[in-house]
Amino acid sequence: MAGKPVRPVNAIDQTRRMLSLVTYLRERPGARIEDVARAFGITEDELVSDLDVLPMCGTSFRGGDLLDIDTDGERIWWHNPAALGAEAAEPLRLAADEATALLVAARAVATLPGLRESDRQALLRATAKVETAAGEAAGASARLSVTFESEGGVFADVDRAIAERRRLWIRYYSPARDEVTEREIDPIRLVSVGHTYVEAWCRRSEARRTFRLDRVAEIKILDEPSAPPEVELRDLSEALVQPAAEDPEVVVEVAPGGRWVAEYYPHDSADELPDGGLRITLRTPDPASLRRLALRLGRDGRIVEPSELSESARQAAREALAAYHGAEAAG
Amino acid sequence: MAIAKAERLMNLALCLLGTRRPLSKRELRESIEAYLEAGSDDSFNRMFERDKDDLRELGLVIETVENLDGDTGYLARRDSNRLPPITLDAEEAAALGLAAKVWQQARLAGAASGALQKLRAAGLPEDVDPYGAHGALEPRIPVHEAAFEPLMLACRDRRPVVFDYRKANAAQPESRHVEPWALECWRGHWYLAGWDRDRGAERVFRLSRITGKVRSRGGRFTVPVPDVVTVRETVASWAGETADRSARIRLRSDAGYPLRAKATAVRELGDGWDELEIPYGHGLDAWLVEFGPDVVVLEPAELRADVVDRLRAVAKG
Repeated sequence: MAGKPVRPVNAIDQTRRMLSLVTYLRERPGARIEDVARAFGITEDELVSDLDVLPMCGTSFRGGDLLDIDTDGERIWWHNPAALGAEAAEPLRLAADEATALLVAARAVATLPGLRESDRQALLRATAKVETAAGEAAGASARLSVTFESEGGVFADVDRAIAERRRLWIRYYSPARDEVTEREIDPIRLVSVGHTYVEAWCRRSEARRTFRLDRVAEIKILDEPSAPPEVELRDLSEALVQPAAEDPEVVVEVAPGGRWVAEYYPHDSADELPDGGLRITLRTPDPASLRRLALRLGRDGRIVEPSELSESARQAAREALAAYHGAEAAG
Repeated sequence: MAIAKAERLMNLALCLLGTRRPLSKRELRESIEAYLEAGSDDSFNRMFERDKDDLRELGLVIETVENLDGDTGYLARRDSNRLPPITLDAEEAAALGLAAKVWQQARLAGAASGALQKLRAAGLPEDVDPYGAHGALEPRIPVHEAAFEPLMLACRDRRPVVFDYRKANAAQPESRHVEPWALECWRGHWYLAGWDRDRGAERVFRLSRITGKVRSRGGRFTVPVPDVVTVRETVASWAGETADRSARIRLRSDAGYPLRAKATAVRELGDGWDELEIPYGHGLDAWLVEFGPDVVVLEPAELRADVVDRLRAVAKG
């Protein structure tokens, strides 16, 4: 299991959580810390810090009816549940942001091509029920939407292989080299961030690799069992490809028309140029793979460093042009 | 030590939820320790107003009632704050558990967890994540753009905004006055659709091209919001996904898998080259140039000229 990211204490989120917590605890005398933390999707430390605040809360400070909630470190006891009338402890309606966050996410996951049909149906049923319960608060959720892209057939095969712990054989397209290679991989998990990827142990490179599903040209589930080594799962939220500090540096200068490079390539720095362009510094284990970028940029930008890379792009362009002249002569 | 804000908000919420008659500001101040310690009336008043706004963000419906003696009273009535009955089975609970984890934006991640916690308090079954046994499916909604949160709130509250926007080829950003309708995330990037007051037309903006702050404008929308707002179709046409013509190219036999995957016809030429028919939309020229000497455009002539033009620019370097 990946560790939970450490969240800063946010008074709004904590208040929201404590309001639900009193409703939940009122029904469950002696609830175990471990179970409550799991039910609320928080760490035990977060729960304990809520339990430190709750005894300071009540309907009237002066009246002395503060909530008498404490814990022996394992279970949670509420000694005066009557301090909060049954009515004041009822579950609260969803706020607009809460309904939006949950509904938009549920609808997005339901669009994932390749998702198991039973899970898609469960998502759609749950979405409909939450919409009804949220009432007006659900209205604004139509103003946000998210589409995940995936190759349904490939997704279903990877999902099955993970569930049955079986190895996969794939033909995979690598844009950096413009080639399709065969590999055997032991799949670990499916990650959707706009596009969908499978993170796997690649038997060929003996390393962990991420494969984008729409670049899988062919896939087969093998009979061999999958045996990925125990690897710590990374947080893939920032970038799927994380360049290493020792990777060679590439400097690209782009005109305004090439500013998109900074949006698509994770980079160390992007400095404004006087003409409205950018000077972008990035790292890649394989600078040759950026020849495609140099060719694509055309007059919107050029590779400044390394010089071998800009030379190889020039060379490729000259060769390509020669083919045109050849074709012209022939035609 | 100052009393933590969460404690203060919690006390205010419990007081407002626990009362059957409207409570005056004075009564609330006397009931809640943090307000007693607030010092001056001014700082108490500011704190109280902010706290009410925060609780309303959490979904609390707080009513303001004028008492007979002219005092303002506050209360959160049960019937307007109670979650209607909702029964979800274990599968549905698991599905929502998965959905609640996908936001990577702090505000919406907090809101999604909050929603799930409210449902949990209302009896949502403890979930067994269907993918949890092997922890194997992780959908994530990335939000890297600073403009996201202010635009999300402006869409929600239907407030006009102004921001500086740098178009794809522009050297300088330009100020745009927009009535924001909807946000959509496609292929990991966020887009805004809305009414562009400067252009007098519907426009789609890419959030990563918004420079500087998104500022709210007073007043209301001047143009009705359409029932269906299409963002993806517009973006797809920028990306050249809506091809209306076709092109004929020669491709080296071992190269260009993605071109083959898109091809409507492939013919082997036998000399180490194939001939492909592929859809031709905006942006195809830039894509074909990426393949360098492995691609030769045959027709149409316009595409051929564009590709040659781009290659010349690179060759000159």
